[in-house]
Amino acid sequence: MRWVHFAFLNVLRNGRRSFFTILVTAIAMTAILVSSGFALFTYHSLAEKAARDEGNLTITHPRFFTDEEDVPMQYGLSNFEHIRDELLVDDEVKAVLPRINLSGLVSNGEKTAIFLGLGVEASEFQVKGPFLNMLAGSPLSGVTSDDAVPEVVLAQGLAQSMKAKVGDNITLMATTTDGALNAFDFVVKGIYTTGVPDLDKRQLYIDLASAKSLINTEKVSSVAVYLFDLDKTTEKLASVAALDNTVAVTPWWQRAFYFQSVQALYNRIFGLLGVMMVLLVFFSISNTMSMTVTERTREIGTIAAMGCYRGEIIRNFLMEAGIIGIAGAIAGVVIAGIVTWALLVLGLEMPPPPGSSQGYPLTIEFSWPLALITSAILTLVCVLAALKATWQGCNKTITDALSYV
Amino acid sequence: MLRFANLTKSYLTGTTEVQALKGVSAHIEQGSTVALCGPSGSGKSTLLNICGLLDPDYQGELYLGGELVPANAQALTSIRREKIGFIFQRYNLIPVMSAFENIEYPLLMLGISKAERYERVARMIDAVGLGKFAKQRPDRLSGGQQQRVAIARALVKEPRLVIADEPTANLDTPTAHLVIDLMRDLGREVGSTFIIATHDHRMTDRCDRVIELSDGHLTEQTKPALQLAWG
Repeated sequence: MRWVHFAFLNVLRNGRRSFFTILVTAIAMTAILVSSGFALFTYHSLAEKAARDEGNLTITHPRFFTDEEDVPMQYGLSNFEHIRDELLVDDEVKAVLPRINLSGLVSNGEKTAIFLGLGVEASEFQVKGPFLNMLAGSPLSGVTSDDAVPEVVLAQGLAQSMKAKVGDNITLMATTTDGALNAFDFVVKGIYTTGVPDLDKRQLYIDLASAKSLINTEKVSSVAVYLFDLDKTTEKLASVAALDNTVAVTPWWQRAFYFQSVQALYNRIFGLLGVMMVLLVFFSISNTMSMTVTERTREIGTIAAMGCYRGEIIRNFLMEAGIIGIAGAIAGVVIAGIVTWALLVLGLEMPPPPGSSQGYPLTIEFSWPLALITSAILTLVCVLAALKATWQGCNKTITDALSYV
Repeated sequence: MLRFANLTKSYLTGTTEVQALKGVSAHIEQGSTVALCGPSGSGKSTLLNICGLLDPDYQGELYLGGELVPANAQALTSIRREKIGFIFQRYNLIPVMSAFENIEYPLLMLGISKAERYERVARMIDAVGLGKFAKQRPDRLSGGQQQRVAIARALVKEPRLVIADEPTANLDTPTAHLVIDLMRDLGREVGSTFIIATHDHRMTDRCDRVIELSDGHLTEQTKPALQLAWG
């Protein structure tokens, strides 16, 4: 402890220089934590969105994602009920939702457009929470009867294209599994936006039973398994796959292409930023320690004359660099904490990402493990930078060091 | 205690080889105080550095406590740490440390326990009359006080040999006398041998022996007049 005390005194010796070196380290630490925190928040948000959109796990026919179908529902799932029943007794499973993907034409009687439809159970809207930004009306009600007109929820662009309002009737036409053309009338229950203009021009939701009738099938395209805990996905993947070896089980991240591309992009951008910050700290500390060692050449000669080994002299300087690194890291954590809190309070928004029309909150996810790892790395970088400077500075002979002016 | 035989040392100044020591031999008794005198360039700093094991690059033989001094740098550092104290002309105290901490430093290097360190430092700082200044940093002390701290630092580990390089050069006469007497008294108490490079007659008058160097040769070894008069 006595050596640490002396190292601390030496850090305070040139307080102004030490302060600015600590400040550089703190700024680097803050930059790394804030940018990484933003990336972490983005990753978690996108992961949650991806899992919410598609389900934590998706059960399909093994060729569903790989091969093109010759006729609708060629690679659909039939007899999935036993899987559903087994999954629903599992406490960790929130819901099991069958879906039908279909496409066809939508018409208002005067104009026709292409649609990409999803046939879902009405409970999907409760399970997934407010995943659609409803602009008018409401999601599918789930009320079905023989004489009731089935409901459709249209994306904003498609509704505009059809000049459809809530309560209007539209016709959906699709090819059935046996190749015929089928058409049903639907009443517009609601209008929503996904935030992605290209999707808004084509997408709609109808209830699963209507979708089955429209394309004349008893199969479903996929079954989405929703878990209460996103982090349990990997663990659950194997157990769900073991239920039936004739189906394929795909975790959310394999289908989350947007998530993957954003993660890859952010990893590159923030990784490069991190490397630049680390280099900044390295050269800053190296410069500071070089000046310190040069200024203290006579002192080095004195303690070497008194019997201090070169390794011990270097160790003392490394302790000083370590103190600077730790002080900078602590200051950086505090500043990053303040920035995180300030952004929460201010509620700033990021501009819409490419392909989207909606911004998202500028939020930092403060991660203690990340803070600890970054602190350790920056402190190590400080020590390594000091080692380089001190090693070179301690090369003088004792007699040269003692006569240094 | 310290014996050197045929010490030769040369170095290059530009392209010219300068012989700083030319086959110097002498024997210094345990517990004696020896002044090393001579004009600038006579080789006294070179001899002092060799005797203090600061410069291992020489020809000849050097014996400390009857043992041939090794050439290995680690071994030399170990000997300096345990057996040699240094007093410098410009005191060379560590500016961020208090007087107490400066004196404590050599004991810390020797791995002595905290209790013993504190006891020995307190005794030594009292012996040099700076008990009241124990917590003061060097920049708050006068030149004489700083040199007294340096003496305490050199002697606190009770070394067999103390190397002093012009220890009174920057001090006024009363302070120089104080410092010289302190070195002699504490040196005798501890049983250390002193080798002091000096031009200062105030210093040489109080030494047991004066070794004169001139042009790399040891020319004279005398007992100073004051010592002779004391008989």
